[in-house]
Amino acid sequence: MMAEMWITMGPQHPMTHGLWTLRVKVDGETVTDTEAELGYIHRGVEKICESRDFTQITPYCDRLCYVSAMTWAHSYIMAAEDLLEAEVPERAEYIRLMAAEIQRLASHLMWLGAFGPDIGNLTLMTWCLRDREMFLDLLQELGGSRMHYNFPRVGGVKRDIPIGWADRLRAKIKLFEHRIDEYEMLLDESTIWLVRLQGVGYATAEDQLNEGVTGPNIRAAGVNTDARWTNPYSVYDQVDWEPAVEKPTSVKGADCYDRYRVRMEEMRQSCRMILDAIEKIPGGSNTHYSPGDEMILTKAPTRAPEGATGTSTYECTRGVSQFYLQGGGDGRGKHPYRVSIRSPMFITIPYVAKTMIGYKVADIPAIMGSFDPCIGETDR
Amino acid sequence: MGTTITAKQNSKAASAAVSAVNDRFSDAGIVAEVIAHSAGKKYEFVRITCAPAQWRALAKWLASEAGVNYCGMITGTHFPEGPSERGWEVAVHLYRWPIANVAPHTCTIHVGEKLTGDDIPIEYEVFIPIEKTESPSVPSVQDIWGGADWNEKETWDLVGIDFEGHVNMHRVLNPHDSPDEFHPLQRQHKIRYHDFNEMYDDPQGFGRKPVDEGRVK
Repeated sequence: MMAEMWITMGPQHPMTHGLWTLRVKVDGETVTDTEAELGYIHRGVEKICESRDFTQITPYCDRLCYVSAMTWAHSYIMAAEDLLEAEVPERAEYIRLMAAEIQRLASHLMWLGAFGPDIGNLTLMTWCLRDREMFLDLLQELGGSRMHYNFPRVGGVKRDIPIGWADRLRAKIKLFEHRIDEYEMLLDESTIWLVRLQGVGYATAEDQLNEGVTGPNIRAAGVNTDARWTNPYSVYDQVDWEPAVEKPTSVKGADCYDRYRVRMEEMRQSCRMILDAIEKIPGGSNTHYSPGDEMILTKAPTRAPEGATGTSTYECTRGVSQFYLQGGGDGRGKHPYRVSIRSPMFITIPYVAKTMIGYKVADIPAIMGSFDPCIGETDR
Repeated sequence: MGTTITAKQNSKAASAAVSAVNDRFSDAGIVAEVIAHSAGKKYEFVRITCAPAQWRALAKWLASEAGVNYCGMITGTHFPEGPSERGWEVAVHLYRWPIANVAPHTCTIHVGEKLTGDDIPIEYEVFIPIEKTESPSVPSVQDIWGGADWNEKETWDLVGIDFEGHVNMHRVLNPHDSPDEFHPLQRQHKIRYHDFNEMYDDPQGFGRKPVDEGRVK
């Protein structure tokens, strides 16, 4: 028996994927206790939003997480539309769906690319970043910027899809579907990958739900729960898809390998959804309506009265994100009185820290990485 | 087509949930009502208004009897200019989702349209108004839903609402050595550029001072 000691991993550590600190108590190589410390990049977004109007808030929500800016902006816009009672044209809903799903692909690729080096597979980083660029290019055509798009508006979207975008989208998605198979050939045949992921980081569905963990992490534990159908929004009921779900191999729930598998399947489902949506989009996939056209944007109120509230429950790439807005702020309701942001990772990171207890120190990067941490949205 | 919950299922589940709460708690002054969202699919959810003293009893009942298994978000708000019975408010967002552990090598595939009764997902919003006071407090539900743990820590850290019975309360987003009474989302604290237009007069910010300069921060 060795003496127990505390080791501080972070705020600068390859395992953390951002700025935070994991303090681990170790007995030899075994983790016996952990403590997560967050807040290193707290920017006070909720406070800043109280003095911005509803359109000005969108860029701040983009910057909650640079890896999935589009889904965060949409999550906010959904709450703002709930508060302001805005209608969204159907074409805009289809564009939003495609934008969010392309972002999901880009985000999962960034996760896989960062997770590979954690496990010792550097090839993966270069492959994933190569493919991610294809999708960032598509999003850039919509939003005008490579990462922070500021794309959705209350009542629609900023810009219509450009001419030719649909063809580029189809070609890239079809190429990428083959690339997913390539990734699986690289990873599922790799002994290192399997040995380091299988049998570590178990988490059951009920346990994760009670602790507030959602998204792909809970779907890996064998339940097809997904806010896209349990709390329906957008046009997910009109396109062809089914929630990705994985069969865990143990009564202890999903391990790191299951969480990797479920994200690969989720990328396939996103491809399927996008290909279907581009065929079904009202108004045609190769037409371009000018900004502000009623096909893509309807006029929405800009002020919300005191006492009005708006909430959104949105399936972000890392789990369910929620916004809660209260109307009646400064400027006779032009600003929200209170903006509250619920980030899935803020709840997940302390939970993951707890699940590491009992595993070896060398398993920490695998367990942490498999939950896809993002510190921008955690610290807000 | 993707699986989804239909408006009919949702509406049925929402009204059943509301009548269950009202049957059980109407004597205690807890009010539940069905509210519809005005965005997305305009689905209905359950809104409950409850006094701080009854919150724990309600939470226990929701978790054990009504099948609420997920605590999403806890939001504190400061209303210094509101009526005296609502100087603060805690809003809790809860969900009932059909999630259970599975046997090894199996999975549960729910088909939205075919779910019935308590399996239909439903959203709860609980408002807990707190009267005007220097030290607002509500009972903690940390032991009922694990997901409430860090949400309550955050609410205390940013808004300053205390959660009675919360174990291991500490700062999570603000620095650990922040002054004791400093909770930045309270309304007396202003950010430097409170009015967006002021930014244009002095883009570098040299001539500006925070509105609350000189006060304890």
